[in-house]
Amino acid sequence: MLEGLMMALQPSFIFWLTVGVMMGMVVGTLPGLTATMGTALLVPFTFALPTGAGLAMLGGLYVCAMFSDAIPACLVNTPGTPAAMATAFDGHPMTLQGRGQEAIVGACFSSALGTLFGAACYLLLAWPMMTIALKFGPPEFFWLGVFALTIIGSLAGKSVLKGLAGGAIGLIISSVGISHATEAARFTFGIPELRGGVSLVAALIGVFAVPQVLSMIAEMRKKDTITEYKAQPGVTMKTIMKVLSEPVHFFRSAAIGSFVGILPGAGSPIAALVSYNEAVRWSKDKSQFGKGDLRGVTASEIANNACAPASLIPLVTLGIPGSSPAAVIAGALMLRGLNPGPELFQSDGTLVYSFGWSLMLAGIITFIVGIMFAPLMIRVVSIPLRLLAPIIFFLAVIGAYAIRNNIFDVYLMFGLGVFVFLIKPLGIQAGPVGLGIILGPIIEPALVQSLYISNATSIGEVFFSGTINIILIALTVLSISMVVLTRFRERARERVGEPIKVD
Amino acid sequence: MQKLMDRDFLAGLVLFFIGLVSFAKAGADVMDWAFPLLATYFILFAATVLVVRAIYAVVAERATDIIRFGAEDRTVSLDVFTFLVIALVFLLVMYGLGFWLSSFLMLSLASIYMTQNRTFYNVALAIGVPLATCIVAYVVFQHVFYVPLPDGAWLPGAD
Repeated sequence: MLEGLMMALQPSFIFWLTVGVMMGMVVGTLPGLTATMGTALLVPFTFALPTGAGLAMLGGLYVCAMFSDAIPACLVNTPGTPAAMATAFDGHPMTLQGRGQEAIVGACFSSALGTLFGAACYLLLAWPMMTIALKFGPPEFFWLGVFALTIIGSLAGKSVLKGLAGGAIGLIISSVGISHATEAARFTFGIPELRGGVSLVAALIGVFAVPQVLSMIAEMRKKDTITEYKAQPGVTMKTIMKVLSEPVHFFRSAAIGSFVGILPGAGSPIAALVSYNEAVRWSKDKSQFGKGDLRGVTASEIANNACAPASLIPLVTLGIPGSSPAAVIAGALMLRGLNPGPELFQSDGTLVYSFGWSLMLAGIITFIVGIMFAPLMIRVVSIPLRLLAPIIFFLAVIGAYAIRNNIFDVYLMFGLGVFVFLIKPLGIQAGPVGLGIILGPIIEPALVQSLYISNATSIGEVFFSGTINIILIALTVLSISMVVLTRFRERARERVGEPIKVD
Repeated sequence: MQKLMDRDFLAGLVLFFIGLVSFAKAGADVMDWAFPLLATYFILFAATVLVVRAIYAVVAERATDIIRFGAEDRTVSLDVFTFLVIALVFLLVMYGLGFWLSSFLMLSLASIYMTQNRTFYNVALAIGVPLATCIVAYVVFQHVFYVPLPDGAWLPGAD
């Protein structure tokens, strides 16, 4: 491990790591350009570098993209990648309240802390964590997805019923295309392009970015900019101290992020959403979540950044990539004749450990770069809406097109965006729809595989037995009960005439 | 008629439409359709609850949440509709004019339309900022990220 640290601290490694971080800053900020795409674009450049330096560059991009996706999420309510969806729930309200710099600094510092925790798990706990991850099968993934769905209760706004309906709409959108069970085409309406399914990133850009653009246009006669720019002297240190003052919140979010990261296929969006949900559940004062609570931003960012290094654990221990960027990194290793897995640990352990240390350094460099650029980034709120709204739409079109070079994805993004904008006044919010779109591809394959397994045994034995299943079911029931109880209490207070407590 | 503009009633109608379309397109195989059908049944259930709740509120003469559409809302709707038309034309001519030219036209037209105080400076800004945006985006996406965006099929010299 120490040899790995010495390797990671070489000046050339740090230089290429910083190049990766700068690329990650651009990739994560632009909606539609994902960390996966960024790492794939950088792979050819790594051929000219020593293996360790190339891996450091890829790791730097991955880590920084997991932070920089929070910037558009906070400033213009458009997550840069799906992982920042939960960040937008509180980050954008903070911007509207003139606390945008606090949101970005909070996201930056939380991202660094989450990365350090995830990298520490990679370096010290890789094998023990993998033994737990190996116990997760399709039924466990199904219940994890259902548990993540209960976050709709926190996102639904005034009506939980409409929130759940929005989530169901998202689940139906995610099921467009060829079925996971057979080759049946679902909801394609005879359109050949829909047989490949709905592109997740294009759909999320449509659900979040396009309605935001249309909302800006709707408001431009009332206000010239998103909000008035207010310099916040001393905000950096104050925000850092605020984040450090909640150690339980940090460790819970980081543990959730790291654990979800080692589950292949779960991904950063689930880590961020589950962490956000738990932050709301365990908070004594839940009233400000969704209205500009810094803990909402930090819960999401700590988790999705802890998830990034942790998703590399199954890659280096078992040769199974834990996320899409990890799959690209696996490809980069294989192109150099290195097979990720237990053999790599034995044949080139120094390389494996140097990668872990590089991820830690990437977290620190991301923090430094983020803090330096935060005052500049926040100036976006001062750009007149008449200029900013079309530019965001322009970037959204590029993002939607860039994924599959398919104009149909752009039309889909546009259509979904207009639809979500029109149903918003009816009380159906974008958040639950986006949540359904993200979770559908995780829940349905797990459900189908579990049903096939149950043909050999029984549904009860597959879905309702096993320690992990029982824990996840109990957490789901608890989550639903708390939402119902909270709403019941709010309604009871309204009937009595007592104002609902707001800090 | 105004009572039909209740938020819950309209939401219920929209959800009924979505649910019925989804139900009509669903197949019979359990493995293929269990998941979307569960979501569809829930949407239909939610729609029923919302519509019944809205009707009950009218019958029981309780307060309802009527969506009102005033003069200000008409102006806002016109702004949004105009932008949507500009955006749709942009998407349709993208392959003909090429991505960059059509983007510049869309950005400029939209910015000029949304500029309320059309002084020389503001109009110049509404053209200059889109031009600068397109130039920066061209360098970043064409030469750094190698994103192949559509060329102009209608332009001379095109394949």
